[in-house]
Amino acid sequence: MIQLTNIEKYYASKGVKNYVLRLVTTTINQGEFVSIMGPSGAGKSTLLNIIGMLEEPTYGNYYFMGEDVTSLNERKRIELYRNHIGFVFQAYHLIDEMTVYENIEAPLLYKKIGSAERASRIADLLDRFNIVAKKDLFPNQLSGGQQQLVGIARALAAQPSIILADEPTGNLQSAQAEEIMTLFKKLNEEEGITIIQVTHSERNAQYGNRILHIADGVVKEDLAVKA
Amino acid sequence: MFKLNLKIAWRNLWKNKGYTLINILGLSIGMASCILIFIFIRFQLSFDEGYKNEDRIYRVVTDWKYSAYEDFSSGVPVPFAAAARNEIAGFEKVGSIVKRNAFLQINDASGKEKMKSQEAVYYAQPDFFNVLSDIRWIYSAPELALAEPNTVVLSAQYAKKFFGSVKEAIGNNIRLGEKITLKVAGIIQDMPQNSSFPLKIVISYETYKGRFNSNWDSVNSAFCSYVLLKEGLKAEDLQQSIANFNKKYYPVNKIAGNQENKLQLLRAIHFSDKYDNFANSSINRSQIYGLAIIGLFLIITACINFINLSTAQSVTRSKEVGVRKVMGSKRSQLIYQFLTETFVVSLAALLIACVVTELAIPTMQHLFRGRIEFSLFGHPSIFSFMAILVIFISFLAGFYPALVISGFKPALAIKNKIALNKGGLSLRKILVVAQFAITVTLIVGTLVVIRQMEYVQQKSLGFNPSAVAMVGIPNDSISKIKYNTFKERISKLSGVNNISFCQSPPLSSNINSSDFTYNGVKNKDFELRNIRADENFFKVFDLKLIAGKLYRKSDTANGCVVNETFLKKMSITNPQEAIGKVIVTSGNTVPIVGVVKDFNDQSLREQISAIAIFPGKNEYWNVAVKIDSKQIAATMKEIDEIWNSTFPNGVFDSAFVNETINGYYESEQIMGVLFKIFAGVIIFISFIGLFGLISFVATQRTKEVAIRKVLGASTLELVKMLNGSFLVMVFVANIVAWPVAYLFVSKWLAGFAYRIDISIWPFTLAMAISMAITLVTVSVRSYKAASANTIDALKYE
Repeated sequence: MIQLTNIEKYYASKGVKNYVLRLVTTTINQGEFVSIMGPSGAGKSTLLNIIGMLEEPTYGNYYFMGEDVTSLNERKRIELYRNHIGFVFQAYHLIDEMTVYENIEAPLLYKKIGSAERASRIADLLDRFNIVAKKDLFPNQLSGGQQQLVGIARALAAQPSIILADEPTGNLQSAQAEEIMTLFKKLNEEEGITIIQVTHSERNAQYGNRILHIADGVVKEDLAVKA
Repeated sequence: MFKLNLKIAWRNLWKNKGYTLINILGLSIGMASCILIFIFIRFQLSFDEGYKNEDRIYRVVTDWKYSAYEDFSSGVPVPFAAAARNEIAGFEKVGSIVKRNAFLQINDASGKEKMKSQEAVYYAQPDFFNVLSDIRWIYSAPELALAEPNTVVLSAQYAKKFFGSVKEAIGNNIRLGEKITLKVAGIIQDMPQNSSFPLKIVISYETYKGRFNSNWDSVNSAFCSYVLLKEGLKAEDLQQSIANFNKKYYPVNKIAGNQENKLQLLRAIHFSDKYDNFANSSINRSQIYGLAIIGLFLIITACINFINLSTAQSVTRSKEVGVRKVMGSKRSQLIYQFLTETFVVSLAALLIACVVTELAIPTMQHLFRGRIEFSLFGHPSIFSFMAILVIFISFLAGFYPALVISGFKPALAIKNKIALNKGGLSLRKILVVAQFAITVTLIVGTLVVIRQMEYVQQKSLGFNPSAVAMVGIPNDSISKIKYNTFKERISKLSGVNNISFCQSPPLSSNINSSDFTYNGVKNKDFELRNIRADENFFKVFDLKLIAGKLYRKSDTANGCVVNETFLKKMSITNPQEAIGKVIVTSGNTVPIVGVVKDFNDQSLREQISAIAIFPGKNEYWNVAVKIDSKQIAATMKEIDEIWNSTFPNGVFDSAFVNETINGYYESEQIMGVLFKIFAGVIIFISFIGLFGLISFVATQRTKEVAIRKVLGASTLELVKMLNGSFLVMVFVANIVAWPVAYLFVSKWLAGFAYRIDISIWPFTLAMAISMAITLVTVSVRSYKAASANTIDALKYE
């Protein structure tokens, strides 16, 4: 599903190249649950951003579902966002001015889904995440864990084939973190959604089935998690 | 502390170069316009200032109250001065002065003609200068120079113009008309431009031919009397004695229209609508207020920009504020700091404004035909105005943002978690709406002014003024004999189609009207305008008869043609009915022989008057020459030559009727130009403000935009989202502006008797213009925001 070949990323400043990623080559298949780990500044987030097409690599090839992403135009990229990729952020990034319901609805509006179907999908998600009672609240009226649940619900609303999560539990207490990770595992196992997460926590990484260790922009280890 | 504030202010401004530029640009253009308006208004208000007795100096004017209308004249009857001097005890001095046009000729020592010209001359009594005693005499004194007949006093400038120097001029001679030789007996200062007395050539009153006129019923607006009240008296104190005076000299049974004299304060002369003045430069106070309001609008618009941008920008300063507060800064110190910044910006804007003003001054002077002195450093009050302007703007624009910024809670501010009034009806939105309401009002105003001027220029006047030249002819008895020769010679020219002796073109502000008797009944409701012209007048100007025929060729009044309005006012429905009836007016007894179709006899501000046209050779001042439009230049040259050989002692003077008519709308045309300029300026200021604001909004919503983008929003959708609220604001502004604009515009149009109907289109056009420019301005920035790199906004907080 995702095929990265010799991905490089650097920032040139005053003629000196500061490498963030060096020669990253890896393949991630449909249905995998991958955790990217490593110390701060190792390039984890940059890698995730490149996978999510939020950043472009300086060199290297990236095929997403068989398509060459580096040559993709804006319209195509938006198509991919709408149909295949869901993002979950550490800081949740919910839109403050919109209610829970509206936040979840937003991607569906951009996907131009009819109102009846929208309503049923949102109802389904609210139900599944036990936040029906909260649907008319604004993000700042919710706890961090609840906000992240909304964030995940929003990411799932468009029925993506892959979820990219950047430290999804970084701002949460451990109990809430566990809940979120269980949810991810369930999504991965039951619905076959590919999940790629960046995390600091060894414990969270154990929920997945593969770990990429990165340090100084280089993939040091690629381990399978024993169940 | 102040120095440090200044340094920080400078760094901050430099850091946000873009916003600073927008701020300074908007402010400086607003300020420059304000300074120009101030210079203009100060000039107008300074008219006739500085006379030390100014609250005791009055002009005597004459009013009439007819049953149908009122009339006003700046003049008095000729015998007024002599009578008033004796009978009104409150007058310390009474001086008469008459304005006339005259041919002057200056010969050199050998008696050869050196120069001749037509000039405005004033016949004045010595007492006139005793009333206006602040007019400086360079040589001689009023009693010495103006007591005798045949003496003249020149202004220093004219002494130089005529004789080369003041010294040469004294004792030298000037010939007035054909016979009179005037001796230069005095020199006065040059009158400043802001004076209602542009005295250049003052002839002794004893030289004035009409001084023995004893008719209390005849008032010429150029024959004026100025009085100095006794010390300590005011106009009100004299009410009783003037009332008695009026009763004695204007008995109701003898003199029509309840004629009466009144006093008008010297400083009020320049601002009077009803009464003329010698300088022809009066300005309505409401026009001055109008300009002042526009100036205020400009400054407010510029300040709104400033307030909006500063509050917008303040979010980026929140961390600084937080840290300062934690370090122990008081709120007042912060306010002080931010006000310093505003002050620096205003000062910078003022410097640029001075440069802009200096650059704009020649254009302004050109617009007012050089009649107005514009100078940036012409008067100390301009400096105080600028100082006040800077302080005013610093406070108006700086105080609110300073208050907002300094009010941030430190804990939130440090974490950059300040959000300015989300949603709701924020002050900023109200300000933007106000700003655009002003802008839209001005756009509507400009459109209507332009439209009305077009209408005025295109409206059919009922006669054809094109390619008709009015050529002045001398009126003395020798010249009158030559009229026929002149006519014959001119008629032979190939380029001349027709010629007519007359007083003035059909549309003219030179009005001669009088009471009249129709069919033996004296009329009391309105006056009849008398136009003297020969029978060719109708052909030259293409005037159409609707009944009867023209009068026969004659040197005296042998029949008259009246207009339709006359019939209407007399309630005569069938024009034939009037034919043959006799009219008695200004001493002429004439039968009505024809009725002419109505034509506009005054500017379109006025209704058509009731008119009688009849011949009268003794009172022709002009020859109207209809010229073949293809040969105008050549023919005018030939006419000039024939004129000079026929009337060797006169000065050739001609004007095209079209141009004269346009001249009546000069003030409207100037106003049109001013409107266009200031509307342009205000539009510019508003839109750079809008650009600043959308920049801020785009920055503030960067995160939201990025999230939406990641959720799959296209750039177009995001641009639409960002633009939406602005379009709504401008739309609301339009709705707010419409009734206001309607009031202004209909009030202005009410000054025209002939005017365009107020239609919906200037309003819709103003809306279209404002919405279109908003869309463009806003889209430029919001597109940039929508297409920006997403990841920069979604980095960790």
